[in-house]
Amino acid sequence: MLHAFHERDGFVSEEAIGVVSQALCIPVADLYGTVTFYHHFAQHPPGRAVPRVCDGPVCRLFGSEAILGALRREGATPMPCSGRCDDCIPVLYGDRTLVGRSSATLEARPSPLPPPNPGGVTECVFGGIREPGRASFDGYRRTGGYAGLTSALRYGVPQDVVTVITDSGLAGRGGAGFPTGRKWQAVAEAPGEPKTIVCNADEGEPGCFKDRALLDHDPHAVIEGMIAAAYATGAARGFIYLRYEYPETMEILERAIREAEDADLLGENARGPGQPFHLLVRRGAGAYICGEETSLLNSLEGKHPFPRNRPPYPVTHGYEDLPTVVNNVETLASVGPILANGAEWYRGLGLLDHAGTKVISLSGDIARPGNYEVPLGLPLPTLLDDWAGGPGEGRTIQAVTMAGLSGGFLGPNELDVTLDEPGLRARGSFLGAGGVIVFDDTRDMVEVARQAMSFFAHESCGKCFPCRIGTTRLTERLAGDGGPSELAAWTEEITDIGDVMKSTSACGLGMAAPLITESLLRNFGDQVARHVDGGRE
Amino acid sequence: MADRYTINLDGSDVAFADGETLYEIAERHRKEVPTLCYDPRLEAFGACRLCVVELEGARNPVASCTTLATPGMTVRTGTDKVERYRKTLLELVASENREIDVDPLAGHASQELKALVDRYEARTGRFQGRQSGASREDDANPFILRDYDLCISCNRCVRVCAEREGDYAISVKGRGFDTQITTEFSGPLEDSDCTFCGQCVHTCPTGALADRKALRHADVPGEIEKTRTICPYCGVGCSVDIMTKDDRIVGVQPAMDGPANLGALCVKGQFAYDFVQHEERLKTPLVRGDDGVLRPASWDDALDRAAEGFRRVERKHGPAAIFGVASGRAPHEAAYAMQKLMRAGWGLNHIDNCSRA
Ligand SMILES: Cc1cc2nc3c(=O)[nH]c(=O)nc-3n(C[C@H](O)[C@H](O)[C@H](O)COP(=O)(O)O)c2cc1C
Ligand code: SF4
Ligand code: SF4
Ligand code: SF4
Ligand code: FES
Repeated sequence: MLHAFHERDGFVSEEAIGVVSQALCIPVADLYGTVTFYHHFAQHPPGRAVPRVCDGPVCRLFGSEAILGALRREGATPMPCSGRCDDCIPVLYGDRTLVGRSSATLEARPSPLPPPNPGGVTECVFGGIREPGRASFDGYRRTGGYAGLTSALRYGVPQDVVTVITDSGLAGRGGAGFPTGRKWQAVAEAPGEPKTIVCNADEGEPGCFKDRALLDHDPHAVIEGMIAAAYATGAARGFIYLRYEYPETMEILERAIREAEDADLLGENARGPGQPFHLLVRRGAGAYICGEETSLLNSLEGKHPFPRNRPPYPVTHGYEDLPTVVNNVETLASVGPILANGAEWYRGLGLLDHAGTKVISLSGDIARPGNYEVPLGLPLPTLLDDWAGGPGEGRTIQAVTMAGLSGGFLGPNELDVTLDEPGLRARGSFLGAGGVIVFDDTRDMVEVARQAMSFFAHESCGKCFPCRIGTTRLTERLAGDGGPSELAAWTEEITDIGDVMKSTSACGLGMAAPLITESLLRNFGDQVARHVDGGRE
Repeated sequence: MADRYTINLDGSDVAFADGETLYEIAERHRKEVPTLCYDPRLEAFGACRLCVVELEGARNPVASCTTLATPGMTVRTGTDKVERYRKTLLELVASENREIDVDPLAGHASQELKALVDRYEARTGRFQGRQSGASREDDANPFILRDYDLCISCNRCVRVCAEREGDYAISVKGRGFDTQITTEFSGPLEDSDCTFCGQCVHTCPTGALADRKALRHADVPGEIEKTRTICPYCGVGCSVDIMTKDDRIVGVQPAMDGPANLGALCVKGQFAYDFVQHEERLKTPLVRGDDGVLRPASWDDALDRAAEGFRRVERKHGPAAIFGVASGRAPHEAAYAMQKLMRAGWGLNHIDNCSRA
């Protein structure tokens, strides 16, 4: 409802808050507080129409500040990474995204397709995405889509679907890597109706843009996965929680849902005669934390989007406190091909004993940025150098991030890893949602870390103390305005704050943020020393 | 052996009841686990993270206030590691506020932060930086000081207002370090749904929300003494502590363990006590002369005069014409005597009290 007013008036007025508060029986003070939580809800005119320029970690490398400066006259404001790092710099004008490297070259163009797989490996989620017409229902059908779902619905029982997904080894592709089959099993067994399937399309992690590609070019694959999840768990309703920054995707999804409804794949008989599954798209309003599943659920329910305390988990107490599957876009898009080709097929796509594939969103100082579907276990140098053409002419790679920003940096001597969770966790990082940002040897890593930490500070929900205060204190120290001027004491403060955040934060944001400073200290001690001692004289 | 309802707490097996949290069990065993966002009357929130304890098998320490006990858990409440985290957390909290030391008259819980900072020797001055609160000096209401420079965003005020008072007058706005406690559209409390019950004041662990009336007496010398009594204003029977310095009332605080109110009061019980020491308060009886003017009189004269009036009415109209209304601002003992007079004196039950709230 708030979105309706935001679209009509261009901002959310006090009157609008009053009306919505009455209609939904939410106290005015609560609703007001919640509106102020989201950075994309404007509360005053001109509001929504004002350009918002991405100043994410990749766009910063390529001139976002210049665009922001040039558009200042129009009242432009910065926004955190908005998932277009492979084709930057995105500027959001109301519901239109323009992209360009300078304010003069801004134009509307569709988000890029993933480049053809350079390794020639078999793909799962990108298997059909490059087929012409794939985004339409007919095109999707023609290229093999809905085949897996249809045969599951026709010839099996729900438990078969759970079993295939469990056996395939598919694990969450949104960050936490929880086994998808086990999640579905838990929801299938949990008491309480109606159950809900939520597709997490918040994709707020800087340097991640895979969900956008999947939704823009293969929306039916995600819908197919959601219907399969609904069938497997007995869920009657579903939501796609889409980030505010993807307005074009919103239209694509709404069209795809209508097509699926017309084909009776969604609606009253989606899971079989008299067994409904209804699907709605819900739009975020600018808050990275709303990608965290329990915060997302609060946001869906119109509550203040603080993460919830767990346990209980969403599988038993999710949307409206009822059993709920929350899955990432990529996870759900993997389901159709797995049902069509079998669990063994998917398992076999990974290298060694790693099951399946993962999309890596690669960006930054690299010749060919883009989304690459890699077999899990692929050596990172293969991706960076053989697949994506390495860094620019004459440059070397100084660092890459993992999990967008959440996994911190791998330094120049740490690039010999394989892309899989066990391998990366052993090195103090993690694969997460699969964003990899490359920084060549010209970049100031302390400044990069400062930008990263200020992102986490900006996005901290403010609920728990270690993250609310810690992200700000770390940002101040990386910016050089605060903290001891003596290296040992500086390092001790950074380390103590990081430790307490990692160990006591209430959700993944606060736990992951200090990986930035930890990996900075581990790899770039000399740059840190120059920052602390040099910056102060 | 762990049977159905025991956990191992710091090396001893202890029993627990279904639905108990680790914090509640630890509290029962006097482990003195520190907390700031916790108020036993409210749903656990899990924000301050001071209450973290080590749980065997868990990757990280867990917040004991939000973790339900399950049979067989092994929990350690005071390891060096969690004590170190607690100290760092308190240093961080101390770094975001203008000051830690506030006058105890600010509110019932106002010394909590100070006490913990001292217990953990966290006045180290580390982690200096920007401060998070923004005081609302513009909110001139006479009761509640909104000195958010001292606020640590523990949300106790918001939760007590919603969960105990049912008023939903305040909420949080913004996010991250810019989180602020607010009313609808950031206005003054007077323009919100606030009833000035004062509950937010007395759950606030920092004095950011403070009893403005009581603080007028902050500079009055002398120790604060608390006298437990029952609020006279209505029939609910809320327990209150009357705060005095040198026999002068300096404030009222709700009793957290008051059986009828559990720390709640209404605006009258909380703030309306000025009459007691008001300069216009009557100190001697007044009797109206034939000319209609009130003049000081002795108690004997005044009582004779009252008795005479009662007798006259009784003679003329019968005892049923007499009705007594006791004052809510009179002591309980006076109210008791008043109804006794009506019931035993005239055999009537014509008795009421002005404060049927
Ligand atoms: C701060 C934070 C942000 C997150 N953002 C996203 C997100 O944008 N998209 C997503 O799918 N998962 C995100 N997650 C992970 C979700 O909490 C959740 O694990 C995931 O959606 C589950 O789906 P999966 O099992 O398919 O990965 C985030 C987690 C945290 C802690
Ligand atoms: S870790 Fe940060 S984002 Fe997560 S609950 Fe705590 S304050 Fe909110
Ligand atoms: S005084 Fe009472 S009603 Fe007013 S904000 Fe505080 S708790 Fe809510
Ligand atoms: S005003 Fe007091 S009770 Fe409310 S959040 Fe701040 S410190 Fe906590
Ligand atoms: S008391 Fe548990 S987190 Fe504050």
